[in-house]
Amino acid sequence: MSSTEQGTSSAAPAEPTTAPESAAAPEVPESFYYVHGKDKVVHKVSAGALQHSALIHGMISNLGYTEEQAKANPFPFENIDGDILQMVVDWCNQHKGKPTPPEDTNLPKQKEKLFDLVLAVNYLEIKELLTYCCKQVAMMVKGKSPEEIREIWMIPTDAEDEAAEKEAKKRAGKEAAGETAAAAGDAK
Amino acid sequence: MPIALLKFPSDLLREVFKLCEPFELYKLSKCSKRAQRSKKLGGPKNWKIRFSSRRHVIICVDDSNYSFEQTKNPNEYFKIEYSRMCIEFPNGEAVDMFVYLLETFGIRTVESLGCDYGNFHDFSKIARFLIGRNMEIESFWIGAMKYDAFMPLMNQMNITKDFTSFFKFPSDFRLQLTKYPNKICIYYSFWYNIGQLLECTCVRIELLGSKMRNRDLNVFLKKWKKRGTFPNLRLLKVDGNNIDDRSPILGSKPPIKNVDNPTIRVSFGNEEIDDAIRVMKADGTVGWLNVKLGDVPTLKFLVANPTDTVVKDLAEDEDLEDDW
Repeated sequence: MSSTEQGTSSAAPAEPTTAPESAAAPEVPESFYYVHGKDKVVHKVSAGALQHSALIHGMISNLGYTEEQAKANPFPFENIDGDILQMVVDWCNQHKGKPTPPEDTNLPKQKEKLFDLVLAVNYLEIKELLTYCCKQVAMMVKGKSPEEIREIWMIPTDAEDEAAEKEAKKRAGKEAAGETAAAAGDAK
Repeated sequence: MPIALLKFPSDLLREVFKLCEPFELYKLSKCSKRAQRSKKLGGPKNWKIRFSSRRHVIICVDDSNYSFEQTKNPNEYFKIEYSRMCIEFPNGEAVDMFVYLLETFGIRTVESLGCDYGNFHDFSKIARFLIGRNMEIESFWIGAMKYDAFMPLMNQMNITKDFTSFFKFPSDFRLQLTKYPNKICIYYSFWYNIGQLLECTCVRIELLGSKMRNRDLNVFLKKWKKRGTFPNLRLLKVDGNNIDDRSPILGSKPPIKNVDNPTIRVSFGNEEIDDAIRVMKADGTVGWLNVKLGDVPTLKFLVANPTDTVVKDLAEDEDLEDDW
């Protein structure tokens, strides 16, 4: 995502939800930015909290937005579900200006959202949270048998992989045939 | 709650695999062929492998060991106790297990390979495999066994750090390695003569049960004193009954020790030498020599390096202890 894309976002921002602030009072007035996910709900986040995300930090570091400009141009993350982005924003706020302790009790624990959370955190380049999430994924199979691992990590059997591969080839063949027929029709 | 792991992009898979223990990764590799291929994304972990018994193969990483132990009892499959996991070896063969682990974990270095009476059949297959791939073997040891069929294999192996032998080679045997490792430690070294010692390029040489005489050791040390010789050598240790008090080594008859100041200890790493005399090489390098007689006459020669060698006066330490 480039700064141009975010600057031209035409989505009318919903009323921002202010995430809980860190207990430590900032010494200087903080700047805030706005982000939204697939659900268009805009989150107001301080620049300090956003520093956890290498992606967003890189985007905002040279913008020099005023408060009004920032509010008018929320960063759109259309590939991230709203509830997932909320989790990420909460985590960034809780860890504003401080490193994550090894045993972090404030980390997201919703396992049913873990897959999407990992993808989002990876996309936003939040290194510490990514390590934690990946550790959660790794721990899911600790002490499990291969059959249990296959279920937990949804690993298809060889037969299922072969069937899927055949199906994909068949589909590709049909598409190629369709394109050839279309091209022949165009030529006529 | 299940999670579709293989749908993760490969960089994320790598992150997850980096945080998994080898036993979990091995079990993952058993889930499907695709899962096994994915495991190869395991990343830049410095996996190494050890083989010394036909009953188990060990993987080492980050100072931890994981032993894959053979069982034929299906009830025990994948049971983990401390750092051991029971499994069925592919085709019931240690060599197949070894190769499976090498390929699944993308291992490029053998930390230790041992050849002994009980594992010779498997060892020879593994050694041929490693030679074929020119894989690095950091340490290789030979047990006190009767067969000598390993000898042609040994000469072709790429041993880099350590060669230890408990094997009684024939008297006319000549050690022919593709390249000398950093260290050789040879028990029953009666066959290792001065000719071989003069050609040795090791950092550490330990010859136990040697037949070398004072004059051989004198020849070696005189050569060492010349500029440009044995540039790697840090330690020579030779023990054997042919070291005696009849002829000199570097001008002195054994025992050779520092009588003027008998409380000096010279050390680097785990090596130390007490009451040694100073020997100067033509280029200014300092060596420390001590020859003891007694039940097992021993020559010890340590080459100092200003970056890691400590010369300590033990008398000062004793004074300090007295003060306390």
